[in-house]
Amino acid sequence: MPETGLPLAVSGLEVRSPRGRVLLSVPSLDVPAGALVGVRGPSGAGKSTLLYALSGLIGQATGSVRWGVTEMLTLGPEQRAAFRAASIGMIFQDFLLFEELDAPGNAAVTALFRPRAERQAMRARAVDHLARLGLDGGGRGVSSFSGGERQRVAIARAMAAEAPILLADEPTASLDRAAADRLVDDLVELARDTGTTLIAVSHDPYLTDRMDRVLTIENGALVADGAPA
Amino acid sequence: MSDLWAGLPPAAQDILWTVFLLLPALVTGALILRGYAPFPLVRAILWRFRWSSAMFVLLITISVGMGIGLMAQERGLRRGTAMAADKFDLIVTAPGSELTAMFAAVYLQPSDMPLLSGATFNEIATHEAVDIAAPLAFGDSFGTAPVIGTTADFVRHLSDDRIDGRLWQTHEEAVIGALVPLALGDAFTPAHGTGDAAEHDAHEGEYLNVVGRMAPTGTPWDRAILLPVEAVWEVHGLANGHAPARGDQIGPPFDAAFFPGTPAIVVRAQELWANYALRSEFTRDARTMAFFPGTVLANLYRVMGDIRQAMSVMALVTQILVASSVLLGLFILSHLFRRQLALLRALGAPARFVLAVVWSFGAVLLLAGAALGLLAGLGAAAGLSAVVTARTDILVTAPLGWGEIHFLAAFVSVTLLLSLLPAVMVLRRPVVDGLRA
Repeated sequence: MPETGLPLAVSGLEVRSPRGRVLLSVPSLDVPAGALVGVRGPSGAGKSTLLYALSGLIGQATGSVRWGVTEMLTLGPEQRAAFRAASIGMIFQDFLLFEELDAPGNAAVTALFRPRAERQAMRARAVDHLARLGLDGGGRGVSSFSGGERQRVAIARAMAAEAPILLADEPTASLDRAAADRLVDDLVELARDTGTTLIAVSHDPYLTDRMDRVLTIENGALVADGAPA
Repeated sequence: MSDLWAGLPPAAQDILWTVFLLLPALVTGALILRGYAPFPLVRAILWRFRWSSAMFVLLITISVGMGIGLMAQERGLRRGTAMAADKFDLIVTAPGSELTAMFAAVYLQPSDMPLLSGATFNEIATHEAVDIAAPLAFGDSFGTAPVIGTTADFVRHLSDDRIDGRLWQTHEEAVIGALVPLALGDAFTPAHGTGDAAEHDAHEGEYLNVVGRMAPTGTPWDRAILLPVEAVWEVHGLANGHAPARGDQIGPPFDAAFFPGTPAIVVRAQELWANYALRSEFTRDARTMAFFPGTVLANLYRVMGDIRQAMSVMALVTQILVASSVLLGLFILSHLFRRQLALLRALGAPARFVLAVVWSFGAVLLLAGAALGLLAGLGAAAGLSAVVTARTDILVTAPLGWGEIHFLAAFVSVTLLLSLLPAVMVLRRPVVDGLRA
């Protein structure tokens, strides 16, 4: 279990399109370690762009994104990848699993590029998280799984690395209501139990209502930051 | 250094050359894969694109198979024809085409050739440097087997004295090649001429008995029926090479006055070096032509070599096209898989790991295609060799040679290096674009 999540400090973050249009501008944002933050806003507002900028996936972002003592935007691509591998778990709207692998194979996929000595432990953690999320799934490809099951595999994948940060992009958007509610419960419980800093982009009020605070982004700008409504 | 290399046994040189050719790919693979375990993902990609992958493997198999088959077959043909001519040190004929004479005398291809006189034969046969001088008398057949008149010495020489039964002792006895469909003790009547033009009743009433069978020689002579040359002349109503007082004699010396003529004389010198002197001595304007079948074959191989080079260029072009199409396929497949590859980067995979996944996928296709191509090429060469052997009776075999191994090693090495390109291209794409694809 990680001791605690990492705090986030953003200042002067700006992401522009190749033609120079401002896609996202966040003058200042602080998230304490272990906080659960929801991000909402209309489609195309820049929510996912914020998530990608925080994870260091957008090369042309300017300003400062500091996770703990690590300034993300001054790192090179390989250093950012190494930071993500060690510190950030990611969950996507449409799961992004390897359909031909089984649940443990997907949940432990990041073990494949970890040092040999760490792989076994990581696989064991992945299986533990799958079990905790109500899945065993060994032996059959995830292509036969329901949407809820797939997203839980994605959560187990994100948690298997014991990352102190969890970034989720519309994790319930592809699920039916019952599956979405159960997934939110699991996600929030896991994040709280492990002290993980969770930032989740979502239109789903059931999810945002469970967060400590909610950011609202419109037209690439952070327009509101407060407790869930 | 060159002395050290030259001092190595040929097999060691070939092995080292193979390793040298493979080294770039081996080093690249080791550097890319070191410390990673990409194969579960490679298996997943292979399974997802199994039909496309199978198609690429098939393309590579055909391309490599063509190259390997061509090389092995050409070498097998060259070796087979050379071995078939091995027993024919020097041939003397009337002036004309050496190639035609060689095909007639060595490979038993029917051909009209002018005759050499008895005086000429005796001059050759009694030369102090000559060990064997054997007249050949063509023109008759039995079934598909050519009937050749010659001397007992030549039959011993041709078969290395490995004869089941015995040599002839009368003009009515014959020794057959290993593949002739007759048995010891059988009698037959030769037809005049060969093939469809053969006159089957021209020698009616002449019976010849099979008394011996030569061991296999791997040459067209395995399907020939050999008679005393006197018998061939006799069945054509000619003098039999000996004065009537010695009409039952078999073999030399022949009486020039009763020698009907021979289209070719096979000469074996007592010493190897003497062949050159004999060739020079018996090459006379308008009278005789002496030649080494080996030299004629060497000239033929030179022409074949040019053809082989042309075919090799064609095979190489094919391989370049196939390698290009495989690379293009890798580009396309990696594009189809770009979300999963972007996901790996998003999850923190180092660029080298993504490179390892894409490169290993290409490497599996290339190595599988190369291995299957090797088998297909050798299989095709073996099949073709069997057909050529059946049609010409020249024993052609096409085993795997170092040339093919070097060719394969070079192909694998170059294509494995080239398959880095799609992998590098994948890495140049923005991760976010891939995730949103």
